[in-house]
Amino acid sequence: MDYELPTEFDIIIIGTGVIESIISAAASRIGKRVLHIDSNNYYGGLWASFNLDAIQKLATVEETLNEGLGNTFFNVKNFEIEWHIPSETPPESTEWSRQSLLKESRRFNLDLAPKLQFARGDFVELLISSNIARYSEYRSVSRVLTWLNGQLETVPCSRSDVFANNKVTVIEKRMLMKLFLALDSGEEDYHNYENKTFRAFLTDKKLTPNLIHYVLYAIAMCTDDTPCLQGIKNTKRFLDSLGRFGKTPFLFSMYGSGEITQAFCRLSAVFGGIYALNQPLKGLILNGDNFEGITCGTQEIKAGVLVMGAEKAPPHFIKQHPKSSIARAILITDKSIMESEKEHLTLLLYPPEGGKNSCVVLELGCLTGTCPKDLFVVHLISRQVEGPQNDFKHIIGNLFGPEKANILWSCYFSIPDSNDLDLTVETPKNVTLCPGPDLDLDYDDAVRKAKAMFTDIFPDCEFLPRAPDPEEIIIEGETSDQDNVELKAESAKTEE
Amino acid sequence: MDEEVLTTLKILIIGESGVGKSSILVRFTEDNFDPDQTLTIGVDFKTKKLTVDDNTVKLAIWDTAGQERFRTLTPSYYRDAQGAILVYDVTNYSTFAKLETWLNELETYSTKANIVKMIVGNKIDKENREVNREEAMKFARRHQTLYIEASAKTRDGVQCAFEELVHKIIQTPGLWESFALNGNFQVDNKDHPSDSSSCYCSLT
Repeated sequence: MDYELPTEFDIIIIGTGVIESIISAAASRIGKRVLHIDSNNYYGGLWASFNLDAIQKLATVEETLNEGLGNTFFNVKNFEIEWHIPSETPPESTEWSRQSLLKESRRFNLDLAPKLQFARGDFVELLISSNIARYSEYRSVSRVLTWLNGQLETVPCSRSDVFANNKVTVIEKRMLMKLFLALDSGEEDYHNYENKTFRAFLTDKKLTPNLIHYVLYAIAMCTDDTPCLQGIKNTKRFLDSLGRFGKTPFLFSMYGSGEITQAFCRLSAVFGGIYALNQPLKGLILNGDNFEGITCGTQEIKAGVLVMGAEKAPPHFIKQHPKSSIARAILITDKSIMESEKEHLTLLLYPPEGGKNSCVVLELGCLTGTCPKDLFVVHLISRQVEGPQNDFKHIIGNLFGPEKANILWSCYFSIPDSNDLDLTVETPKNVTLCPGPDLDLDYDDAVRKAKAMFTDIFPDCEFLPRAPDPEEIIIEGETSDQDNVELKAESAKTEE
Repeated sequence: MDEEVLTTLKILIIGESGVGKSSILVRFTEDNFDPDQTLTIGVDFKTKKLTVDDNTVKLAIWDTAGQERFRTLTPSYYRDAQGAILVYDVTNYSTFAKLETWLNELETYSTKANIVKMIVGNKIDKENREVNREEAMKFARRHQTLYIEASAKTRDGVQCAFEELVHKIIQTPGLWESFALNGNFQVDNKDHPSDSSSCYCSLT
């Protein structure tokens, strides 16, 4: 290491997951001295994205702990990677081989926790209000599909979709529009439905089975048991986010969801946060019931507050072990699941089937910057029942195979869900643990959690006020004989 | 009248801490030399229009925000940059020796294979020089980069460094053309639905 870390901060943040990174940006933004540190040599923790080569290496890392901080409760589990193509092909062949795919390794950005954003959700509003939007680019999801009566169907997401959809009869079109207008106007009375399901509500509205399927499983992303009021809320959320950016309510961040943590980390650094990855974190320094600092290599670094990803915490900080997991699969395929002239960014909402939970399927083409040309990356995300292989078997069987898209490479794993656990730490008092990825489609819940934690640590402080544009900052300088401007900036940042 | 802007180019400034990256940025964009850089907290990139060979381009020049110190620049910092300025301090040999590492970093993370690189030897106003011009030029030739010596303090070479970089970028086919308009966007308060009927509106 060329430089020693400064040894005194207001807050130390261990781990670069989404919640940790939002808190880091928020603390730096209001002038707190932040050390943001990670034992990994990459940003993002359980929310990171990897190229093809790196994700394979990740899978071979054993689930052992290197000495120092951390626990294994929240580690990625059940990693299984399989190639479905030959390791090499003859030189003149145009077929993909393991070798030719690995050559393109860096064109892949494979997310552990892929997410979409609702166009009018809290996350997008935060990006805009805090002026962090400039660090990332987005693409609209261009179609929403569902699995209905044994085949893929396009979910009508807009007025033109409704009318263009030849599977929906004229009467159904009127029913659907009537329902949405009623929900939108807020004039409906749901009083009688407080203890009923959303399905019951839709049935009482006399919607046809096909329409119930579209609204229940796709638009509202519900199950048969979802309470009516929740279903109404979800539907409204979908409708509210229409018409802002593109044809569907959803956005995907270019180059993968791993970019999101980097954007917040960048903002934190711009406002003076000190970043150090790949750090030998040895332990915490405690004084009675209080956290006082961390030991990093041979250095002792002090701070008044510690925030850390749950997976970075000493085992005895964890009161509850994970109760459920997120089942995941990442596939590299040679064709879209539903071919069309232009490249689509597809969200497929696969309904619950045969005891298996509903599943979010996200298909990304090369325009998203997550894979090379002529290939697709397909993510499957679901609440785990048996294990990722078994949980997705029926879906993969239906979507891929001869005459359909072929799977070239597959990767299965499970991420323990830390979101429904009590992560409060009684002693030491000034430590906050952040949960990892959740099963939500979007980041809105992560934003709410980060904001709540921030407000808890720094009461009465503004959460991510708008950062100025570069043009708004006037540097008042004068020609002087002092030279080393940059060192000055850094010593000022750490205020030593 | 504003000249028509041909394109916006993303330029990175990288190199070891203390070599004067921010000073070069501030000298070029504001024509200032600021002894008290505390005021630049909150700046992550600066923009400036530049006319080279009758073409006017807008430069977005990204500072490292101190993330170079522990080599924690994010991959997204490097994303889509068309040009990189690699700065070393002519009075500190170790900052020159580290250029190799910075070139590797660029090689690893830049998403454009033909990104144009410019090595800048800064602080030539100082007397205790440790890196001679010949050695630096040889290094630049070997790595196929542009080379210039400069002083952010006296202005020497700063404008020229950016002009030469932009000149080379514009001459490099496929580096900057058709960069936009492929359907990506940044989110803002405006609505940009892709067609006028994309919301559920009244049926009447």
